[in-house]
Amino acid sequence: MIEIFKAKSVITVNPSMPRAEAVAVRDGLILEAGTLETLQPWLVNNEYSINEQFKDSIIVPGLIDPHLHPSMAAVLLPTFFITAMEWKLPWGTTPATKTPEAYDEALKRACTNPTHKDLFITWGHQELWHGPISRDRINSIESRKPVIVWNRSFHELCMNDAALDYLDIKEEDVKNASQIDFVKGRFFELGLGFAIQKLNPFILDPEIFSNGLMKLKEVVHFGGQTTIADMAVGLFNFDNELNAQKLIYENEDTPFRVELVAHATAMTSLSGGGLEKGEELIASLHEHNSHHLKFGKRVKLFTDGAFFAQVAQLMEPGYIDGHQGEWLSTPKQFEEIARIYWNKGYAIHVHVTGDLGLELAIDTLEKLQFEKPRFNHGFTLEHFGLSTPEQVFRLSKLGANVSANAYYLYELSNIYANYSVGYERASSMARIGSCFREGVTTGLHSDFTMAPAQPLMSMWVAVNRINEKEEVMSPEERITPQQGLEAITINAARILGLDHEIGSIRSGKKADFTVLSQDPLTIDPIEIKDINIEATVFEGKIFDIN
Amino acid sequence: MIPLTVICGYLGSGKTTLINNILQSTKKPIGVLVNDFGELNIDEQLILNQDDLTIALTNGCVCCNLNDDLGASLEFMLDQDIDAVLLESSGVALPVKMSNYGSTWPGYNLNQTITVVEGRTIKDLLSDKFVSKTVEAQIIQSDLIYLNRFSTEDVELISKLNSEYLVDDEKEILYESIFDIKNLLLKSKGLPYEDHNQLKSDVLQINHPIDEKTILKFIRENPGIERLKGWISDSDKNTWLVQKTRSECNFSISNYETISRLVVIYKDKINLETLGI
Repeated sequence: MIEIFKAKSVITVNPSMPRAEAVAVRDGLILEAGTLETLQPWLVNNEYSINEQFKDSIIVPGLIDPHLHPSMAAVLLPTFFITAMEWKLPWGTTPATKTPEAYDEALKRACTNPTHKDLFITWGHQELWHGPISRDRINSIESRKPVIVWNRSFHELCMNDAALDYLDIKEEDVKNASQIDFVKGRFFELGLGFAIQKLNPFILDPEIFSNGLMKLKEVVHFGGQTTIADMAVGLFNFDNELNAQKLIYENEDTPFRVELVAHATAMTSLSGGGLEKGEELIASLHEHNSHHLKFGKRVKLFTDGAFFAQVAQLMEPGYIDGHQGEWLSTPKQFEEIARIYWNKGYAIHVHVTGDLGLELAIDTLEKLQFEKPRFNHGFTLEHFGLSTPEQVFRLSKLGANVSANAYYLYELSNIYANYSVGYERASSMARIGSCFREGVTTGLHSDFTMAPAQPLMSMWVAVNRINEKEEVMSPEERITPQQGLEAITINAARILGLDHEIGSIRSGKKADFTVLSQDPLTIDPIEIKDINIEATVFEGKIFDIN
Repeated sequence: MIPLTVICGYLGSGKTTLINNILQSTKKPIGVLVNDFGELNIDEQLILNQDDLTIALTNGCVCCNLNDDLGASLEFMLDQDIDAVLLESSGVALPVKMSNYGSTWPGYNLNQTITVVEGRTIKDLLSDKFVSKTVEAQIIQSDLIYLNRFSTEDVELISKLNSEYLVDDEKEILYESIFDIKNLLLKSKGLPYEDHNQLKSDVLQINHPIDEKTILKFIRENPGIERLKGWISDSDKNTWLVQKTRSECNFSISNYETISRLVVIYKDKINLETLGI
């Protein structure tokens, strides 16, 4: 049975036929995009139906988020969001809370309903907007029930008296700890590590964790995504992560597929051997492949520290306050491990945040290209916080892809201009326009929960380059709406090596669509993030979004 | 409270050797935590310690690793009957950051941070594009520098670097020799020291194929060898696990692929000529 999806317009992202009015689908595959007339040859001798549900809507290729972390999301989504930025979530929009008074008000309203058994955990506190947090401050809002306030950066949390009692954290145990301020109830960095040990039974509780994965399923659908990538399986515990995802996502109700990319060093540890054993283990992972969850020949590596935590490695002149970034791999070992996967033909995805972290990845790629030249190799620079124009030129010549987190620019560029790296570098974070000009395959991702899992939001930032203070940052690095749409469809598919199957609407590809109320290419670009997503179609099956 | 000593230093600077030397200098139980990035996954196996008192772990940024191995290991060590904990950091860890484990984790206090510097490579590392700042910070931030395989020129370089930033008059450079281990231990109140033997340890890396016969010859030529453990890779690319105690030496085939690396504990001196290194 052939089903024809009629639309006001179909944006195919197929350069040879950019627009259509209808798409014919059979058994989850696209037969053709075109008009009712051009589709006729398929219909003459076959049964078909015409679906007019989307006749007043715009169909685009199913949106793709090529980098997020389901396990992190599963930990975070059961918490209650009180955030400085607006977060649109399927169960309601979290409004932007920008003052200390508003924060206290929001916490007071929410904290009577525990999120984790008897505990209430909220995520999103940021001192810059919400003022300093302390035990006394939370006590004054809620003194009897245990309340935990987790910072937006993840690097700090604060508890009230009831929470300290509940978790059995006593003053005599922690009074001399340099990264625990017991008086203020604050736990940061290693102190946070200590607090997390106490919290793990709650946040990693199988029931709560599964509930978190279920919530992510809703979030991904709500964002209009039909493909996501888990860009570091093995982050917490490989078997648990894989099994939980199989359990929750491997069924007919899941409107997306998950491309799984293994965390190289975690797998090396798991293999119990050296680098070669780690590679052999990764090479065998395809045995786990099922309909919705698949491992390809890809691997995840890391160079430098987290962008939100200001531990990205920077080239001169570094951070304004002179602090040091951090390496997540020893540079020499990074090269050794990259060489193993390069020589075995993998697509290597490298987490890079600062320009020095990026430089390490590019220098390594240059060496590997010299030793064993490869084409269309899929070496991808993930996140792409700070870069230089010269690096964009080099990575282009070396054939690398870029998967950028454009949302950094929205949330961080004003603060980082003033307090971290200065205006020039902050304004050009996520230097995406240059990537398009140099012909680099460039995609956008959320790294959820670093940014909302909403590709249209990522596209909006990349097209407008407006930050949360409504300043336009380096307008020269803006991209066109057409390029923006490519970045969250066909380019994201190329980055995952799936462009032969998904990422555009053309004969032979999977029937994955996202249905929009307005046309993202002709609407005023400032409204792109507010376009209503009506439904998605995954392999021919409609999943409405209410 | 258990005293915790942090040992930093770039890859190959000699951290494992220093730890083995410390372990050989006492019979008291010392816990050893080896934090690397899981990439080589080998160093902890070259640490000759009592059973269960060495733990290898892979710890990263807390925002991307909620399973805090290091924290769990510190909790585990609290329940063991030990006198001290040595924390071997990854090659790019910063002493100020690692010292927080001693000063923050309940049940521990910070003894000191030691950075191991290898003289023959330090000049290049201090001008390396990627790690110069990290290596410099490791030297500046530590309480004590343990310098090995050095020449006079290296000492001058370190002294100069150190004096430029020196805030703490207590800080000093210790030079590798058996007496300095003793010196190091005596200065570190947190490290139990007993002057009961004079053993030294080294990690030997052999980059060419090597077989059983050569190892046995090496052992015969060096009666001062007390223990030897590690892997050798022969010309057929087979890897063998080698374990020598005072009375016997065993070779067993291993499916662990690695270059030849051996840790050797010995008295006096050893002659490496037979091994070709």
